[in-house]
Amino acid sequence: MPKSLAGLAALLITCAASAASKPAAPPRVPGADQVHSTTLANGMKVIVWTDRDIPNIALYNWVRVGSRNEVPGITGLAHFFEHMMFNGTSKRAPGEFDRLMEAQGGSNNAFTSENVTVYQDWIPRTALELVLDLEADRLSNLSFDPNVIESERGVVYSERRLSVEDSNDGFLVEQVQATAFVAHPYQIPTVGWPADIQGWKVEDLQKFFKTYYAPNNCTLILVGDVTAEQGFALAKRYLEPIPRQEPPPPVRTTEPEQLGEKRVLIERQAQTPLLIQAYKSPAANDPQGPAINLLMSVLADGNSSRLHRLLVEEKKLAIQVTAQFQEGFDPMLTWLQLTLPEGADIDAAEKALDAALDEVVAKGVTDAELARAKNQFAAGFWKQIATINGKAGLLGQFEVFEGDYQKLFDAPAVYDRVTREDLQKAAALVFQRQHRTVGVLRSPAGKPAEATP
Amino acid sequence: MNRRVLCLALLLACVAPGHGADGPAGVKVPAHQRFVLANGLTIILVPSREVPMIAFSGFVRGGSFADPADKPGVGSLVAGLLDRGAGKRNAYEFADALEGVGGTFSATAGAESISVNGQFLARDRALMIELLADALIRPRFEASEFGAYRGREIEFIKSAKDSDPSQIVGIYGRAALFGSHFYGRPQGGSERSLAAITREDVLAYHKENFGADKATLVFAGDLDPKWMRQALSKAFAGWGRSSAPMRKLSPAPRISGRRVLLVDAPGAAQTYFWIGNVGVDRRYSGRPALDLVNTLYGGRFTSILNTELRIKSGLSYGANSRFVRGTMPGEFAIRSFTQTETTVQALDLTLQTLERLKHDGLGQEMLDSARAYVLGQFPLQLETAAHWAGTLADLEFYGLGKDYIEGYGPALARVDLPETSAVIADAFPRVTDLVMVLIGDAARIREGVAKYGPVTEMKLADPDFVPAAR
Repeated sequence: MPKSLAGLAALLITCAASAASKPAAPPRVPGADQVHSTTLANGMKVIVWTDRDIPNIALYNWVRVGSRNEVPGITGLAHFFEHMMFNGTSKRAPGEFDRLMEAQGGSNNAFTSENVTVYQDWIPRTALELVLDLEADRLSNLSFDPNVIESERGVVYSERRLSVEDSNDGFLVEQVQATAFVAHPYQIPTVGWPADIQGWKVEDLQKFFKTYYAPNNCTLILVGDVTAEQGFALAKRYLEPIPRQEPPPPVRTTEPEQLGEKRVLIERQAQTPLLIQAYKSPAANDPQGPAINLLMSVLADGNSSRLHRLLVEEKKLAIQVTAQFQEGFDPMLTWLQLTLPEGADIDAAEKALDAALDEVVAKGVTDAELARAKNQFAAGFWKQIATINGKAGLLGQFEVFEGDYQKLFDAPAVYDRVTREDLQKAAALVFQRQHRTVGVLRSPAGKPAEATP
Repeated sequence: MNRRVLCLALLLACVAPGHGADGPAGVKVPAHQRFVLANGLTIILVPSREVPMIAFSGFVRGGSFADPADKPGVGSLVAGLLDRGAGKRNAYEFADALEGVGGTFSATAGAESISVNGQFLARDRALMIELLADALIRPRFEASEFGAYRGREIEFIKSAKDSDPSQIVGIYGRAALFGSHFYGRPQGGSERSLAAITREDVLAYHKENFGADKATLVFAGDLDPKWMRQALSKAFAGWGRSSAPMRKLSPAPRISGRRVLLVDAPGAAQTYFWIGNVGVDRRYSGRPALDLVNTLYGGRFTSILNTELRIKSGLSYGANSRFVRGTMPGEFAIRSFTQTETTVQALDLTLQTLERLKHDGLGQEMLDSARAYVLGQFPLQLETAAHWAGTLADLEFYGLGKDYIEGYGPALARVDLPETSAVIADAFPRVTDLVMVLIGDAARIREGVAKYGPVTEMKLADPDFVPAAR
């Protein structure tokens, strides 16, 4: 990462805005010349971004498997498998992976979504060889101890209780997602349905491993104090010997077009009611993606955003509103989520929300709103780029979901080119009532939560 | 779904820049300028040109310590209202100006100060300074904004009770542990206390506690120190001193004996628990040894706590422990959760791990592993300009020099087993001296938890974080 950005600074200063809300001309993203990639003989792609600001490396392994690859009976398996990836190989006992990594100064984590499973290590540069050995070991030699399976099953169920069963928000989101999709496996909650959590067998895990954990189904990303030469050499030594496999079968089911609004009512103890609208939306690599993201920003990013201003500040129908375009390999959902104050008029909140969306569809956004959204994107982008962790995440996102990590460096320019017409088109595309699922969570009628008398 | 408890979403940065870092033990505080204006405002400038942003972190001393004793949450409302109308801009105009350039600003009341944080694109530095000065010096506290904001803050507490009990168990814990000591006050207030706060309270707090002499601002990033110094001196010259002197802080005593607060959440699938006692303060001389011991006990994935409660037994998605170290000794607290049916099993295991730590101490291999871990992870916390802004503000607040950062690695290297034994004896509580707070389904767990000590009950839906006085 070049320390001197004098040219960049000069560009930014000459672009100093006269009106506060003008977007800056997007500068070239520094470090583009520090990123190199190669594909190993077994099909695993390796991307290395050299950044020597701190003597550390962020390692991400993106595996193209998520809950969208599941079927009833094994829901939650991709996520459970992610847990089991830390729990022992034929060469190392359960727990050794973590003990060895931590003893060398590293920490790790992983996450599973509907689309991908990503393994993350944050290590001092001196631990790179050990960690690639560990990663190769678990990709090749993973084993499943029956006792460990049972205790890890308990861990995952605890995670489900934390994020769904004891969370009104998580509970409603799960129900809305399961209702929105009638055919596509995006209807499956990533943590899994309870009965399936209880039912996973070791045979399920073995089959899953064979099917999805092929090196040609993985993308390895290294960002930090490592050269491409060093990274490629170690990847070749430890990961290239893992044999290529038959690629996993693609997800064949497509969601048929939704021809009418769906509604879900959940009656659960709640002091603050919840309202969700989830709209069928394009996939991650859709060219309208940037416009949709900027539209979400206009709608709900900050106190001056449209929906916040209208629903929270002016009409006081909600205490919070969020908007998110969920990006996946296949078309997913755009989520609008409102938290309402106790005793709120849920119908009034929904009517006001609908009216606001109708207005955006009919009239689009203002120049000032578009400029604001672009500036919010730019600031967010620079914040992510500022860390090796952020870089690794962005590289992976662009490589895996858009097919080319180089697009990361085009992102500021791409977003800068989006027009008001693009946002209006995006609104018209997304906010169609017959494509939406509406979820409401509130207390059973007449039964508010009880305080101590 | 994340593997680990409290893991943040994919693209949230793991912190920290490092200039001139030459190895895990070689983190160096970046070159910076520090100066104090005539009115007492301390300013620190840290040039760093990695990305075209300027980050700021700062504080105004006071926080919930300066709340009226019977009205916790005043400082929090003050903090939240600073940007909701300031100077010539009303709330919407301020937000529009800030967000219009992609800038961020947040202010939060902690126990001892109100902290401010934010970032702007470097090209908007003039606007950044203007907005920051307005928010700190001349917030409007308009009546309509006050009423609406206070109302929402009350609703957010209810929302957390509905969806995130693990997030709020610590508020109950600190209240139960510290009692009337200011560390026990809910920094954001309670539903009851917020409802009683008036706009006059807010105005009085700002008048008495906000002053240049109580504040420090740190700016780090793509900045020209000369230009910044000039601009900041001009913008903040008009900030007067606070009218009320800082009252003296005093420590809370460690509690002896064990007692239980049971917060009833009928139908909860899990029990969320917080177990603690008073620990040590920020200047604790055993800090390096303490950090290593806590890493091993409850600070990393393979910790003793997590190994017992998650890895070996599958009882929980995660367990951790930490020391909160303020000007005064804060809490040492263990946190975890488990299915309602296994509440007693998990609590017993937790107490056993603490007993084992106190009795057996640590071995050399584990000490070395913890040392490597802390050293290896340290630079990740000091990667970005924003992190340096926060760190330097922190050092300034507690009057710590750069050796707190630069000497940390060498100090860790020197920690030996006798030192770890000393901090285990000195800083970690005995299992017989603990406050245990449980949020869970009382009908199903009250009988089982009675054995831990005298139990007081309340309901999650109660509008305070302490049981009502009877």
